[in-house]
Amino acid sequence: MTTSNPSEFVQYRFRDAIGGFFEFPTENARALLPTDLQPIEPHHGSSVLSVMAFDFHDSPVGEYGELILSILVAPRVDTGHSWPRSAFWPFRLGTTTPESREHAIERWHLPHYMKDISIAWDRGDGHVTINATDRGEPIVDMTITEHEWSKVEHPYQAFMYDDEGAYTSTIVMAGQFSENEEERGGIVIHSQAMTDLLANWEVDVTPFRELWMRDGMQTFHPLRQLAAFAPR
Amino acid sequence: MQSQAASVSDYDYSNFFYHASDDPFAILEPFNEWLRNALPHGYYLFSQAMSTPPQGEIRLTEGLRGRQLRLVNLSSYNYLGLSVRPEVIAAAKEALDAYGLGAAGSPILSGMMDVHVQLEEDLARFKKKEAAMVFPTGYSTNVGLIAGLMRPGDWVIADQSAHASIVDGAILSKASVRFFRHNNPADLERKLKQATGKKLVAIEGVYSMDGDVCPLPELVAVAKKYGARVMLDEAHSTFVYGPTGRGVAELYGLENDVDIHVGTFSKSLGGQGGYVAGSRNLYNYLKGFARSRVFSCALSPVVAAGVRKSLEIAQREPELRDALWANVRHIRSRLEEEGVDVGDSTSQIVPIMVRNDRRVFEICHKLLGAGVYLQPVIYPAVAKHRSRFRVSISAGHTREQLDEGAAILIRVLREERILV
Repeated sequence: MTTSNPSEFVQYRFRDAIGGFFEFPTENARALLPTDLQPIEPHHGSSVLSVMAFDFHDSPVGEYGELILSILVAPRVDTGHSWPRSAFWPFRLGTTTPESREHAIERWHLPHYMKDISIAWDRGDGHVTINATDRGEPIVDMTITEHEWSKVEHPYQAFMYDDEGAYTSTIVMAGQFSENEEERGGIVIHSQAMTDLLANWEVDVTPFRELWMRDGMQTFHPLRQLAAFAPR
Repeated sequence: MQSQAASVSDYDYSNFFYHASDDPFAILEPFNEWLRNALPHGYYLFSQAMSTPPQGEIRLTEGLRGRQLRLVNLSSYNYLGLSVRPEVIAAAKEALDAYGLGAAGSPILSGMMDVHVQLEEDLARFKKKEAAMVFPTGYSTNVGLIAGLMRPGDWVIADQSAHASIVDGAILSKASVRFFRHNNPADLERKLKQATGKKLVAIEGVYSMDGDVCPLPELVAVAKKYGARVMLDEAHSTFVYGPTGRGVAELYGLENDVDIHVGTFSKSLGGQGGYVAGSRNLYNYLKGFARSRVFSCALSPVVAAGVRKSLEIAQREPELRDALWANVRHIRSRLEEEGVDVGDSTSQIVPIMVRNDRRVFEICHKLLGAGVYLQPVIYPAVAKHRSRFRVSISAGHTREQLDEGAAILIRVLREERILV
């Protein structure tokens, strides 16, 4: 059991965290999202698939890697809290260790791919590429490029729900940060069990926004329970 | 080194869509707190007040410090310069004397005046259609048309870059709405294949934010293949394209293949309002079902009379279009010589791509100080990663104004390293 006091802040330190924002049809997003959550549409009819990968080196469950598939949704602004920079609805996560998977399911109610995955990091000159696989079977290959770096502390918001209820948490990301909209990165989403929900989505292969954080810390604020989402 | 918290430029309107509480007013305070901080960072650039007509040179009260500025105006839609033509102004003044200021009623009740009927007849003749219906604004035209015609269970399939009025009309109709990739007939076909029942394809002649022309022959062919009706909004292409100015449909010889023709009075004609042109049967149906017209006050008779005169001049003086295109060629050559990224534009609308909201605001602020009025175009008017300026050219621009504006623009873009 890795679950700690639910009122505590939980910190995860990482070497690299990367993310790409990819457009895909809103009809696909709406088919998956609870009706209470509204997808962000950068274009009419286009929503945003966020693909993120983390290389954690220090956490309550040790060292591990994580791949997160999310849909960008409208955040919920709350008086007295910092405004979320973006809000996410994670719909499928994969981790490299069973401990990290159990922890995230129990503590954060996050929906997981139930097998261990592997994430290979190739840190090149000005870019980083990850290859996520399940026992050699490719899941996602993604390249993110760098831009100007600055030290930041950004609040984000995540929504989760499972059989027990609906939740939200503020997640603060702190570290050296680079963000660009130069459209130099790319993604290949392979047909695989972890990506089965994306099977018929027309996901752009070039991210319109690329995010990269180094030597950083992810802090989960305590979960807040919401009125249950209405599922599709 | 101090960490940077998220700054005002990390947020936009999409961050303030929902509040966690049950009080609909709870979002107002955090939104206004953000807006107060965002105004000096660029949001002040919106809705600054002009004290002159929308001509090539304007005077404007700057929104940040209230300075009075003289600026080269590269932002207005007054494509043929007709909003300030003496004959147009005289016609509007005569109408003011004859009818008073407003119509004082819905067109379906007491708001219809002979000047409205004459304008609709003039438009129908110009468009070579059985009938044309006038709406009080361009926005209400598309909303009333689409929501008046389409029903739950029907399909509206629109270009991804379609104007908000098309999107809102489609949503209001409660039809199923799908968007195809911008100007992409193959994607339109993919979307049409998925649709059953009644289908309307909604496209524009020239897209207002990209300045590119729709591939009408290919789009019409795909629509016909799947039995869809086509509506073409020529807000930005009427009196710009086509041998007699009837737009992109005339340019391609497809006026009878487009089922519904839409246009506005606020662009080439320098007024306000919009119209739908098509069959008499369509007119009669929309008269009862286009709720944005039924439940709005009719267009002011003053504007209607001015627009009638503009329409007459625009048809009588094709040299206005020649002057517009000469100006377009002139400024485009200046910008292209310097390597400015103008996207796919081929029209009088020339986007200058910056692709970064914060940078657009910074450059726009600098341009204002240097003597050019250009509006930042950011989300939600364009996709988040497609922020830009939009240069609008008019026949009313003098070469001196265009050269001065282009020189300042190029200098600032170079200083800001958008141009290298």
